[in-house]
Amino acid sequence: MIPVTHRASLSYLLRHPWQLLLALLGVAIGVAVIVAVDLANSSARKAFLLSMDAVTGEATHQIIGGPAGVDENVYTELRVRHGIRSIAPVVEGTVFADERRLSLLGIDLFAEGELRSFTTDASAGDDDSGVEALFRSLLTEPGAVVASASTVERLGIMIGDPVEIIAEGRAHSATLVAVFEDAGGIDDLLVVDISTAQIWLGRIGRLSRIDARLTDDEAVERLEEVLPNGNRLLNAAARTRTTADLSNAFMTNLTAMSLLALLVGLFLIFNSMSFSVLQRRPLIGVFRALGFTRRQLLTMLMLEAAFIGAVAALLGVLLGIVLGEQLLALVSRSINDLYFRVSVTSVDVELLTVLKGFAAGIGAALLASAVPAIEATSYEPRLAMTRSSLERRARSALPLLAIAGVATMVGSAAVLAGSGSNLVAGLAAVFMLILGFALCVPLFVRVAADLLANFAGRLAGTTARMAISGIAAGLSRTAVAIVALAVAVSATIGVSVMVDSFRSSVGDWLEQTLQADIYVGVDRGSMDLELVQDISALDGIVEVSTSRRAWLESEAGQTQLAAIRMAPGSYAGTEILDADPAEVWPAWERGDVVLVSEPYGFHSSVGPGDVILLPTDQGDREFCVAATFQSYDVNSSAVMMSRATYDRHFADDGVDAIGLYLAPDVDADTMISAIDTLGAGRQTLRIASNVSIRRISLEIFDQTFIITDVLYWIAMGVAFIGILSAMLALLLERIREFATLRALGMTPAQVGGLISAQTAVIGLLSGVAAIPLGAAMAWVLIKVINRRAFGWQIDMVVTADVLVVAIGFAVLSALLAGIYPALRAARLHPAAAMREE
Amino acid sequence: MTAPSIEIQVRSLERRFREGEREHVVLDDVDLEIRRGETVALRGRSGSGKSTLLNLIGGIDTPNAGSIRVADTDVTALSERERTLFRRRHIGFVYQAFNLVPTLNVADNIRLVLELNGVKHASADVRIAELLDAVGLGDRGASYPDVLSGGEQQRVAIARALSHQPAVLLADEPTGNLDDQSAEIVLALLDELVRSMGGTMLIATHSNSVASYCDRVIELHNGRFESDTTT
Ligand SMILES: Nc1ncnc2c1ncn2[C@@H]1O[C@H](COP(=O)(O)OP(=O)(O)OP(=O)(O)O)[C@@H](O)[C@H]1O
Ligand SMILES: [Mg+2]
Repeated sequence: MIPVTHRASLSYLLRHPWQLLLALLGVAIGVAVIVAVDLANSSARKAFLLSMDAVTGEATHQIIGGPAGVDENVYTELRVRHGIRSIAPVVEGTVFADERRLSLLGIDLFAEGELRSFTTDASAGDDDSGVEALFRSLLTEPGAVVASASTVERLGIMIGDPVEIIAEGRAHSATLVAVFEDAGGIDDLLVVDISTAQIWLGRIGRLSRIDARLTDDEAVERLEEVLPNGNRLLNAAARTRTTADLSNAFMTNLTAMSLLALLVGLFLIFNSMSFSVLQRRPLIGVFRALGFTRRQLLTMLMLEAAFIGAVAALLGVLLGIVLGEQLLALVSRSINDLYFRVSVTSVDVELLTVLKGFAAGIGAALLASAVPAIEATSYEPRLAMTRSSLERRARSALPLLAIAGVATMVGSAAVLAGSGSNLVAGLAAVFMLILGFALCVPLFVRVAADLLANFAGRLAGTTARMAISGIAAGLSRTAVAIVALAVAVSATIGVSVMVDSFRSSVGDWLEQTLQADIYVGVDRGSMDLELVQDISALDGIVEVSTSRRAWLESEAGQTQLAAIRMAPGSYAGTEILDADPAEVWPAWERGDVVLVSEPYGFHSSVGPGDVILLPTDQGDREFCVAATFQSYDVNSSAVMMSRATYDRHFADDGVDAIGLYLAPDVDADTMISAIDTLGAGRQTLRIASNVSIRRISLEIFDQTFIITDVLYWIAMGVAFIGILSAMLALLLERIREFATLRALGMTPAQVGGLISAQTAVIGLLSGVAAIPLGAAMAWVLIKVINRRAFGWQIDMVVTADVLVVAIGFAVLSALLAGIYPALRAARLHPAAAMREE
Repeated sequence: MTAPSIEIQVRSLERRFREGEREHVVLDDVDLEIRRGETVALRGRSGSGKSTLLNLIGGIDTPNAGSIRVADTDVTALSERERTLFRRRHIGFVYQAFNLVPTLNVADNIRLVLELNGVKHASADVRIAELLDAVGLGDRGASYPDVLSGGEQQRVAIARALSHQPAVLLADEPTGNLDDQSAEIVLALLDELVRSMGGTMLIATHSNSVASYCDRVIELHNGRFESDTTT
């Protein structure tokens, strides 16, 4: 038998289905966003780890070399002369088939042994089956490739079909000889024989790495002893981890966004839960009079909250999974563009994520109900609180709330000042800022509504006064809605100001950095050196700069290196931030001197005069940092070295891209087609003028921020529901008042108008309140969060239209949310409404 | 015409409510005439339909059959909007629960009705002062309803109901929430103000003392009038 208090609470919930629905929705949406972001992040990360796992296989260690990879002979030496058996050579790269980007893995089947599992369960067709057949075809058929079933399906080919593979800008014909079963992490992966990979990727005689399975420390030591200089033995798991960590800042930002959505959702929950408690004040009085203890009633209300929280969390988790799938596509696209290859097609729902969602939902519901529940049960039973005396109590608490709010904001500033470059502390400060601000909003609403009410009363009569003073009078209701909307709108202001500022900094930087008239490169690969010479010799080309990007790896992690051969015009393209360019450049060209990008300098705490250690072909070498340069490149944490210095330390003659400076009278488009003709049949080149690179870069920039857009629309949606529920709550509470107004002779339109006016002012107040918070958030996002996450310095740019749009948006969404309550108030049947007590 | 004209005329009035399957007849073929300037007490057991009848006369509810004429207007023939405008101009309501607008002070509660009737601000101020003096609350114009006692609130409600000098005042148990002494004051006020205005008044009540103020007492029972006594 359910105790009568619980039956009372259950029947109350069921008799107010709208209210119940809104409370559920509030929690559910908040939970859904958290779950979705968590799923998208963890699925992307997991997919990456899985694919690394599949590709690394059983290897515990990897031998890597400099930018040009490991010499093939190192492998032969190790195997033949030193008799090390558990090693396998690998050549890796990116190729294209049917416009799809695929990873190419070249392996030596004889050496594979037990290193990689997926190569042992492939099937080569109906009649011909088994590993042996696979071996035979991979080795004997030129251009034989193996891929997973789903990759094959996506490419629309079958065993025996030819495929055209584009590698390093050159086309090769290949044949699908076998398909292996789908398994985690091997999507979009082509496996070929190692010599095929070397040819395709232009790495004759070189390996990307050597995988090794070393089971004890002795084996590790032995291998390290015989390893030639310039090669390094790294722990495979650690290596995978540092690669995955590259995207950490990106994911942290997403998580912050999802917490923002939950925060807005929390207001919504608070609104609906406190309303359902407030409404039962008389009933609570009756229960108390009958002899129920405070504790019993509190337990009843908290159980109810937990129940709502649990049901909503369940809905939220389900919704979050659906949402997560949508988000995953966006997230993995961004990661692919920015960091490393992931290929994820479905979200992987982890128990931890689900638990997180439930904890957030139930926790939020309990938290939101605790305050009103404690308050409502704290009175003497005979003290039948009227609505107005309740509001008076709420009013007297306003200054205290505001003081607490200011204190919280001061605390936020203190956290910012005292947390160095810690990103998590920066995010915590953002939340403290929002919370502190939220605590001040009710006082603002009261003062503003009182002022406005007087003004409106004089200007537009008693009805207008009534509409506005109703906002201040129902403060316990309206303030929460205003806070929720203000937080959501300020988030839009903060994020758009950040994105705008960021975009304008990137635009300026692109303008400066793209000094050459035309850039030529290859999609994922190095250029044919003869072709580079032929292009340089073309009539009308005055100067040529070249660039090479390489990842240097050591136990300490990965360092991106840019080796540049500057043309006289190139220097102006790099902005030196903290030294005199006239002194920096000559030194940089001559000695072992490098420049570091701003993000690199920030994250590694190095600046002019410092010395850094880089792994070169001759082992670790010291380089002097001459200065820091500005860079908003996607992977902008980098060290810049002159080509001459690079050539001294690395046996690598590769060139990734060249910049061409044209004679004054030469037309860029004419030159582009000339280069195109030159490349025809040799290498497919990517040729672009500086103008088009700039345009495309900004397009990519905009795409990256689509995720942010999606999340803040969700926050706005939650705020919208917040207003709707607040207005409905007010309506339910004041139904007699509206009925009286109708009896006094107000038309339905006038009553509806009253509510619309009220919501419009609520929107206006929210919009106005959102501006300072939005500006503060933008500042923190730009100067603190971005700086700490990416190391970028960005100038803050605030345009008036962002603010106007924000206020307009607040008013519009409030008006929209008010439509339904206004209609209900207008349609109200006064005689029936009067009967309700 | 020598006889005073008829202010409220109810003919074959019927009001039923559906409650699920059942139909509940509250007013069954009711006829009633009230002359201009008359004050009438409407009595009957709880649930006998007193409030229902007042709501119908005041035009905030519509009958299932029959007609109601108030101040020479067939209320039952009016559209919803016309009824609202009619009510605004000609009817005053006083309720048991006072029903003042909590967000407006005393003066603005009255001003609200005056504004609805298009009274200009300056003349409204004069009228509000008059009314508040008349109900003995001349110094409480700036107070909000929640600081007034029940009797004071009801006096404000009376001032509000009479502010636009309606032809008909409908009062639904105006003293039901008051102690005897306050009730006495409120009744005396109502009686005096309505009579001085020459208005017509219909009061639904259980109380004998209320009835004693009225010219006539009618009794509602089982959806019909049981008795009609002129005092
Ligand atoms: N909107 C409605 N829906 C259903 N039934 C209604 C409605 N309004 C009134 N009734 C019913 O009509 C009957 C008369 O109600 P009414 O409020 O007029 O009585 P009353 O005489 O004013 O009673 P009281 O003295 O208690 O105020 C009651 O039985 C009530 O249940
Ligand atoms: Mg009644």
